[in-house]
Amino acid sequence: MGTTRRALLIGGGVVAAGAAGLAGRRIWLDRDPAALPAVDGSGHLLWQNWSATEHAYPAARLAPASADEAAHLLRTASGPVRTVGAGHSFTGLVPTDATLVSLDRMTGVLGHDAATSQASVAAGTRLYDLGPALAAIGQDMPNLPDINKQSLAGGTQTGTHGTGRAFKAVHGGIVEFDLATTRGEVLTCNATRNPDVFNAARVGLGAFGIMTRFTMQNHALARVKKVTSLRHRDDLMDGWDDLVRNHRNVEFYVIPFSHWGQLITHDETDEPVRPRGPDTDTDGQMKLKSARDLLEFATPLRFWTLDHMIADIPRQVAIDQGWKLLSNERSVRNREIEYHLPRENQIAALREVVAVIERHRSDVFIPVEVRAIAADDAWLSPFYGRDSGSIAVHTYYKDDYRFFFTLIEPILRRHGGRPHWGKLNSLKYDDFAALYPRWKDALAVRDGLDPEGKLLNPYLHGVLRRG
Amino acid sequence: MAIERSGIVPALLALAACHAAPAAKPLTEAQSAARQPADPHLAALYDGSCRACHTNRDSGAPLSGDHTQWDARWAKGAPVLLQNAVAGYNRMPAGGQCATCTAADYNALIRFMADQPQDQK
Repeated sequence: MGTTRRALLIGGGVVAAGAAGLAGRRIWLDRDPAALPAVDGSGHLLWQNWSATEHAYPAARLAPASADEAAHLLRTASGPVRTVGAGHSFTGLVPTDATLVSLDRMTGVLGHDAATSQASVAAGTRLYDLGPALAAIGQDMPNLPDINKQSLAGGTQTGTHGTGRAFKAVHGGIVEFDLATTRGEVLTCNATRNPDVFNAARVGLGAFGIMTRFTMQNHALARVKKVTSLRHRDDLMDGWDDLVRNHRNVEFYVIPFSHWGQLITHDETDEPVRPRGPDTDTDGQMKLKSARDLLEFATPLRFWTLDHMIADIPRQVAIDQGWKLLSNERSVRNREIEYHLPRENQIAALREVVAVIERHRSDVFIPVEVRAIAADDAWLSPFYGRDSGSIAVHTYYKDDYRFFFTLIEPILRRHGGRPHWGKLNSLKYDDFAALYPRWKDALAVRDGLDPEGKLLNPYLHGVLRRG
Repeated sequence: MAIERSGIVPALLALAACHAAPAAKPLTEAQSAARQPADPHLAALYDGSCRACHTNRDSGAPLSGDHTQWDARWAKGAPVLLQNAVAGYNRMPAGGQCATCTAADYNALIRFMADQPQDQK
C-alpha cells in the first residue's frame, strides 16, 4: 500500500471517528432531562414551572372563587402561601411546600365602560382568553407579551411586557385592583385610594397578597398589520431608534451565528383582513438547532450556511385584530434571561452580548430578542421612571444555561439593566435596593400587609429580606 | 413460494379490514375546539389549562378528540400518560398549566382528550 493511500485511509478514519464522536456527543446532550416523580413520599403531587427550572410538592392546593374566599384563605392557610398563574416564570417565585393558590376559578370580564374603554377583569383570566373577551366589547390591549398563556395576575405581578415606543408593560394599563391580604381583608387600590399599596403592589411578585380583580385601561379595538421580514442585523441595530419611532409595536431578533435578524412590526391599518398563516417559528427554531447540531464546532461554515438558508425566507404579512397577532405559540421550551436597560444603552449592550455568544457559546441557537417598553410609575416595575430597551437570551431547555450568570448578566448589569422579575437572574436584596429608587418604600408597604412573612418562600426571602 | 405471493396475507388483511372499525380521520381545529367535557368541574379545568394548546395545531400538542393523534399515545397506558402530564414530556409542560388538578382530574382530562370512556365512579 502506498504512503499516500495509507495516509488518506488514516485521515478518513480520523474524520469519520471525529464525526461519529460529535454525533454521539450531540445524541448524549440531546436526551430529555430525567423526569421528577409525579408524587412525593407524602403523596403530594408535583408542581413544576413551564421551563422546568423550579418545582415543589405543595401540601395544599387551593382555588378561591371570590375575593372573600381568597382573603379567608390567606388568614387561615399555612405559609408560605404562593399564588401561581400559568407557571411561566423561570425564577423561584412560586415553589412552596405548604399552600399553592390558583386563580383559575376567578376568570372573565366582569364589566366595562365603553366611554372610557375600561374593563373590570377577574385576576385569573388568561391573556389568550382576554383578547377575544375584550374584542367582544370593542376593546383591546394595545400591547401583549410574546406568549399569551399567562394569567393577568401573573403577568402584571412580574412586570411582563410587550413592545412599542408608546406602550407600557401590561401592568401599565392597570388603573385599579382589589387585593386580598393576610389580615383577611380586601383592599381596593387606585391612584387616590390606598395609593401607596397601588404603587407598591402593582408589580408585587405575589408578595403583597392575592390579586383578585383589575380595572384595565384599554384601547378601542383596532386592526393591525403585522410584517415579519429578514434584515441584516447591523442594519437593525443601527436603525433601531428609527424603527421604534416609526412603528406602533416593533421588535427584532438577532439570529446568532448569522448576519441576519428578524424584524417584526405592527401598525394600525384599514386594509382588509389577511389572517395569519400557520406557525413557522417553531420549525425555524428547529432548523437553527439542526445547524447548531451539525456545525457547532465549525463557526465560519455555520455562518455561511445560515446566511444562505435565511436569505431566501420571504416576508410575511398578516392583518387582523391585534390580540390575534401580537402573541405567538412558543412550543419549544427554553430558559431565558432578560434585562431591561436604559434605552440609550440597549444597542451597545446588545453588540457585546452577541459578540460574547458567538465567541464563547456555540451551543446557543435561539435568536436574541430585542424590544422597547415605555416608562411607568409602579415602584417595583423594571421600567420605573425610564423608557427601557430589553435584551433576552434563550437556551433550549435541554442545554446548559449557567453561562447566563457569568457571561451575559455582567454585561447587562454594567449597562444599568434591571432583570425581568420572571426571568433568570442572580440578584439579591442589596442588588435590587440599588436598582429601585422606591425599594424601601415598597417593602415597607409589603411588611405592613404581611408582617409575618406568610407570603415569602425561600426565593423571596433572598430578594425581599436583607441577608 | 414466498408467503406474501401466495395471496394468503392480502386475503387475511382484507378480511381483517372488513371487521375493523372505520379508520379515524383527523379533526380540524374547529372540531376539536367544539368539544367540551360534560362534567362542569372537568370543563372548568379543561378551559383553564388544556384547551389553549390542545385545540391549537401550532402548539404541537395532539388535538383534543383526534384519534389519529391520540390512539398511539393512549396505547402507552394511563399511568405513563399521567406521569407525562404531571412531570412534563417533550413540549408538554409539567402539569399542563393546571395548578389545582388532582391525579384523578388529570386522568379524566386525558381520557376526555383521547376520546375514551370515563372511569365509572
